[in-house]
Amino acid sequence: MRQIRFGVTARALAVLVVLGLAIFPVYWMFVTALAPDEELFRSTSVNLLPDFSRFGIFGDALADGRVARWLLNSVIVAGGTTALSIGLGIPLGYALSRFAFRGKAAVGLALLFTQMLPEALLVVPLFAVFRRFDLLNSLHGLILADTAFALPVVALILKGAIDGVPRELDEAARVDGGRPPTVLARIILPLIAPAIAAAAVIAFFSAWNEYVFAVTFVFDKSLQPASVGVAGFIGEQDTSIQSIMAVGLLFTLPAVVFYLFAQRYVVSGMTAGAVKG
Amino acid sequence: MARSPGPAGESVSIPSSPLPQRRRRRAAGSPWTPYLFLAPAVLYLVIFQLVPLLQEVWLSFTKTTLLNPNFNVWVGAANFQAVMANPAFRQTLLTTLVYVTACVVGSVGLGLLVALLLNGRFPGRAVARSLVTVPWAAPGIAVALIATWMFNPQFGILTRTLRAVGIDPGPNGVLDNPRLALAAVLATTIWQLVPFVSVVLLSALQGVPQELVEAAQVDGAGRWMTFRVVTWQVLKPTIGLVAVLMTIWSLRRFELIWLMTRGGPLGSTRTLVIDLYAQAFESKQLGTAAAVGMVGIVISLIVIIGARLVARAAAKEA
Repeated sequence: MRQIRFGVTARALAVLVVLGLAIFPVYWMFVTALAPDEELFRSTSVNLLPDFSRFGIFGDALADGRVARWLLNSVIVAGGTTALSIGLGIPLGYALSRFAFRGKAAVGLALLFTQMLPEALLVVPLFAVFRRFDLLNSLHGLILADTAFALPVVALILKGAIDGVPRELDEAARVDGGRPPTVLARIILPLIAPAIAAAAVIAFFSAWNEYVFAVTFVFDKSLQPASVGVAGFIGEQDTSIQSIMAVGLLFTLPAVVFYLFAQRYVVSGMTAGAVKG
Repeated sequence: MARSPGPAGESVSIPSSPLPQRRRRRAAGSPWTPYLFLAPAVLYLVIFQLVPLLQEVWLSFTKTTLLNPNFNVWVGAANFQAVMANPAFRQTLLTTLVYVTACVVGSVGLGLLVALLLNGRFPGRAVARSLVTVPWAAPGIAVALIATWMFNPQFGILTRTLRAVGIDPGPNGVLDNPRLALAAVLATTIWQLVPFVSVVLLSALQGVPQELVEAAQVDGAGRWMTFRVVTWQVLKPTIGLVAVLMTIWSLRRFELIWLMTRGGPLGSTRTLVIDLYAQAFESKQLGTAAAVGMVGIVISLIVIIGARLVARAAAKEA
């Protein structure tokens, strides 16, 4: 009996340690943002608790026109990438799930193959293409580039979700005369709505976090997304570390919150794609 | 909002409303149907992934500089020979090998431990399972930002901790110390990867048949024995898959390393992708950069194909 109780306590302690390690860096961002200078740069001791009286720093960060502009640009790019990759990914996932056709295995393999291409590899040739079509220095150009990397993952997640819908449902609808687009829109899409939401979260935050294209293709400060803005803080001396961490947290929190919701689908989608691809 | 009566409301209540009789034709539609669904996305990926990739392949056989990217001189395999002959590139390959291996072993090993830990029954399990994924959900750019602050040479909390336990990273800090920088980048990467691995393995653990675990225990098998005979057998395919994913992702990881160290100090964190980017945008040699990129792609392909062969052999054995 005593041994069992000890086992439970040990497990609880281990869980607390793991959670502490997982959360501490983000928590530390929060504490740093709220810390007064004298505490941050004191060499003798460290204060591990946040000073809530200084909470206004987050408001100040948002009121800074530059930061608001970054976040707005990021929302535009990420929103556009999400819409485009879901729009293209739904029919692709449907075709891969419901039809047998020549070249199906090749398409699946190609989707897996894109997971190993680094953005840094394609940025040079894409730069040339973008210059020719006047897509440089624009938010819609970034949407086009980011979608290329979000689309394969989105399509694999949606294919996995459609695989989970019983075929009898759409076959019944087809016998009743429904054509494939109708079946897809009326029967299948409502059933995979949670997976679509999860795929949207992934697409949105892959673009939210995209750095290589954003830093290479956009020159105007007013068009920079937040990923470039936040990255620019690293090694910078002119901005106070508290403001930097406040902006960093504003950039981090949406991703954390949405991922917690979508986590289950995200994981199953990513692994399903890799298994069956 | 109140439900409004009318045609819209009715069509919702009959989701599979049959269309008129004349539409009754061959159920599967024409053989072209799948290609129509496929075409937009495939065309998109051809334009934005395949064509640039082929251009990059071609660039790797030319001498091209960033300053004049449209002026290409065909040089055959010269870029590859130059890259291979460069001792710094051997260092890059070694760094890549160390980085990728440590990422895979570290994230899969720790991820497995965390998964086993969270698989048991304890109060607050659902909350714990959610919170543990925070590192993976945090954007890589933000992770680089917080890591550089925590490793700040003077005031970083990790630097202070290291000093307190007797490790002095020097006046310029961990990230500027050739002997510690790679370890710091690795710790940050693994911190971010562990949650993904553990969530995947947690869901695989649901497939462990509880009867078998109990049967093993009835037969007198200890914890370790039960794990090896039952749990490990169920997890093996998933672990293999996750290891492959971790390898591919770690081979292509860029932002985190670039923003923390730019590949330095003294090239101690310069992996293949960092080298590729630095060759293109610092040395302005697009041909050499492309050749480095091709080496990376070949390595990734070997990993994917090798993993498939191993998986197939294992399946045949079973």
